[in-house]
Amino acid sequence: MSARDNILSAVRSPLGRNAPRPAPWQTIRPPGDLVARFVAHAGAAAAQVKILEGADDIPLAAAEILRLRNLPAILHLPPDPILERLTWSSTPGLTLARAAPGPEDAAMSVARFGIAETGTLFYPASSVRPASWHFRPGLEVAILAADSIDFTLEQVLARLQGEGALPSTVNLVTGPSRTGDIEQTLELGAHGPKELAILIVPGGLQWA
Amino acid sequence: MTARPRVGLFVTCLVDLMRPRIGFAAVKLLEDADCDVVVPSRQTCCGQPAWNAGADADAAAIARQVVDAFETFDYVVAPSGSCAGMLRLHYPEVLAGDPAYAERARTLAAKTHELISFLVRVRHMDSVAASCRARVCYHDSCSSLRELRVKDEPRRLLASVDGLALRELADAEVCCGFGGLFAVKYPEISERMADDKIADMQSTGADLVTGADLGCLLHLAGRMERRGIAIRVRHVAEILAALDSDFLPQQGGGVPTGLQAGGEGGGRVASVTSPSDALTRAASPMLGEENAVQAET
Amino acid sequence: MSATFDPRRFVEASHEALNDPQLRPALGRLKTHFARGRTLAAARFGDFEALREQGRAIRDHALSRLDELLALFERTTQARGGHVHWARDAAEARAIVLAILREQGARSVTKGKSMVSEEIALNPFLEANGIRPVETDLGEYIVQLRDEPPSHIIAPAFHLAKEQVAETFRRSHTALDPARPLVERAALVAEARGVLRARFETADAGITGANFLAAAEGACVLVTNEGNGDLTRLLPRTHIVLTGIEKVVADLGDVAVLLRLLTRSATGQDISSYVSIMSGPRAAGENDGPQHFHVVLVDNGRSQLIGTEAEDVLRCIRCGACLNHCPIYGAVGGHAYGATYSGPIGAALNPGLLGVGMAHHHPNASTFCGRCAEVCPVKIPLPKIMRYWRAREYASGLAPKSAVFGLSLWAFAAKRPWAYRIGARIAARLLRWRAGGRGHIGALPLMRGWFAVRDLPAPEGRTFHDLWQRRR
Repeated sequence: MSARDNILSAVRSPLGRNAPRPAPWQTIRPPGDLVARFVAHAGAAAAQVKILEGADDIPLAAAEILRLRNLPAILHLPPDPILERLTWSSTPGLTLARAAPGPEDAAMSVARFGIAETGTLFYPASSVRPASWHFRPGLEVAILAADSIDFTLEQVLARLQGEGALPSTVNLVTGPSRTGDIEQTLELGAHGPKELAILIVPGGLQWA
Repeated sequence: MTARPRVGLFVTCLVDLMRPRIGFAAVKLLEDADCDVVVPSRQTCCGQPAWNAGADADAAAIARQVVDAFETFDYVVAPSGSCAGMLRLHYPEVLAGDPAYAERARTLAAKTHELISFLVRVRHMDSVAASCRARVCYHDSCSSLRELRVKDEPRRLLASVDGLALRELADAEVCCGFGGLFAVKYPEISERMADDKIADMQSTGADLVTGADLGCLLHLAGRMERRGIAIRVRHVAEILAALDSDFLPQQGGGVPTGLQAGGEGGGRVASVTSPSDALTRAASPMLGEENAVQAET
Repeated sequence: MSATFDPRRFVEASHEALNDPQLRPALGRLKTHFARGRTLAAARFGDFEALREQGRAIRDHALSRLDELLALFERTTQARGGHVHWARDAAEARAIVLAILREQGARSVTKGKSMVSEEIALNPFLEANGIRPVETDLGEYIVQLRDEPPSHIIAPAFHLAKEQVAETFRRSHTALDPARPLVERAALVAEARGVLRARFETADAGITGANFLAAAEGACVLVTNEGNGDLTRLLPRTHIVLTGIEKVVADLGDVAVLLRLLTRSATGQDISSYVSIMSGPRAAGENDGPQHFHVVLVDNGRSQLIGTEAEDVLRCIRCGACLNHCPIYGAVGGHAYGATYSGPIGAALNPGLLGVGMAHHHPNASTFCGRCAEVCPVKIPLPKIMRYWRAREYASGLAPKSAVFGLSLWAFAAKRPWAYRIGARIAARLLRWRAGGRGHIGALPLMRGWFAVRDLPAPEGRTFHDLWQRRR
């Protein structure tokens, strides 16, 4: 018998053991604006959230974020068509880099969905939206469309699975990287980004 | 008019051996609560030491004995959270494999209560006529707290005791380190847990600690004695019952006349005098009783 | 790992721990940070008890269908291009991992935190075979540099002060300027970030654990705060997931519920910084993600618990809440247990994984206070399972002879009320006499464990039953 067969027969439940599947968990959505709830939870997780008036404001907002932190005016962009379409001409002083960001660099990504329950960004990976970009830089600037914010992870998964097969990697990101491993005291920027800035734009983004 | 319930008193082995006064206090409180109290003679122990040590056959044998002795009563009441918990929560498990006893164990379990919770929840007692001028902290035993969900009841009755100021422990829900045989098998860890609990007691400024489990109280009193810490230790039934001397056999029988530092035989729990005096009284409850014991033999 | 790390040394190791002044404030922090965090998070959530019940039901259901769900997980993972391996024990698991690494020609390996990898002693084995995996979780990295085992499931280096971490970094990071300041925690974190980033980039293979396996989707779910797990698995060519067989649940919907329970119970967070849903190697056209994705399902004694009274221990989602609330763990810390799993979960699991004799101290060193069961997110009846192991120990004759004798004597009398009365009468008189008017006894020729640290208040001298008879 193979190891597989051994294990499977060993774990087969004795006759009669049948623990029923519980009914799916229903999260009661509290009243109020989903976006406001998302902002509150993301902020509580040490993300910095700004609501923009439109997608056209993204480049300027990003440039401003870098300037306020005395960071070099260099923003790493993945080959995301949504980012290609933005009005980068409005920020001529901002250098756009294509290489993967290093640990002190700033990078931008577009989140597919937002989860208001916890202020979480939902990033399915693809060839134009590489997963490692959420972990490589020192500062991640995330773009999130207001219409893509749902309340729970279950709801977002249902929307994603409605669009086709699960990608090989999905990353849920809530706030910057952190650790409490030294004396149980929170420090940001363990291996992933030290800062997470979220720019919310109204309506939807044409998702390609 | 409902008949007075017949209550079988489960004395517990520790009360029987170490502090009969707690048993008498329990009887008094139950009689005050309009119960007819019977003390079955064929009782020894609830079997918890055997059960917790994994000596399942012995535990089952003892449990059967308890079922036989107590099942005819309306209620079974024990002045101990751990013994009441054993009967109430664990007996059905102990005797689950015995078809002759399984159902009877469940029936017994359903009518078993820890003393204070019985007085408050079942007999609706909300006050006692007692006095105890002391700053008191209450030690919730783990069984009372987690198995029987007793928390408010002793506090409610203690609040009615004249002169008693209740101080809450900061970590009231943390184990004191008794745990039955644990205290003997892992003494250093038990010591640390006791010292943490004692430090908590000291920081409340209490001069007396009380609770419903004699095991915990003996462990804490013993540790404080070893360290020379003068916080008195009393079972909550003793405080609430305010035993009168005529409740108990006469001095010739060599029995405690009360709890007070006064020693007049008046029976009321009076104020604490000096710490050392209180410690002496806490540890040696019956002055003059020595002679009586020798007269017995 | 030293020879002193042995579950049979629990008493000696506890003694060392109780006398370690450095450990006390660290253990205190577990209460103020983790335990309190859990309380606050549960209160914020609302009906946390309903969530716990849902978690229990999800895990129970999964365990009752474990064979089906494991087979389904294998199919769905393979359908997505992943490989699934089955390891009956630690030796098979180690051999499988080494074979994968050798096949890929992997020499440099990064690791995310994996309790299973500790359990199977993977690192020493790989090192003996010429591969030194670098731990990337900060706490694991620190204890690896110090050649110590982790002391807590969630916070492996909680027992260390930052000065100790700084000293370790100075000793190990020899390429850095010796004059650099390393006083602040932030500086230590920044240094680790810099040193480990190079390792992430150059690793041929990454090994992680998995917090959950979703059978329907063929997904492994990883929960981290640091982001090290993702850098470990996304950058190298090969990703190996090491996981216990009991981690599988029906689908990602079940994972979503357990996720809510896990982070709140572990650290008091509503969610961790990163939750990664990994299902297979990179898709065509992707530059990130492993080309080779392997899941190693490890049994190592778990299957033997199915159908026993200890089965419920397999519900565990490794949150560490039981550790944070246990007064025994809170007195001695994790190293004293001398095993991968410590605290109440260790006490409930180790006799099954290591043997009742080997791990006998763990279920015995408990007062059954029940706080662990109260906070367990999936309602494992931990004291009940510890008692079951005690019963197994007793039945197999492994309990200490003196204890068995004493208990048998006690039980003999307890079953014979007439004999018990006489014995109690004598004992009450003897003890009272022994106290000699002092009111307490300082020592007796028996129960030495009691008198080692306590006196015994003197009994009244007469038993209740005798006095009650006289009253009548």
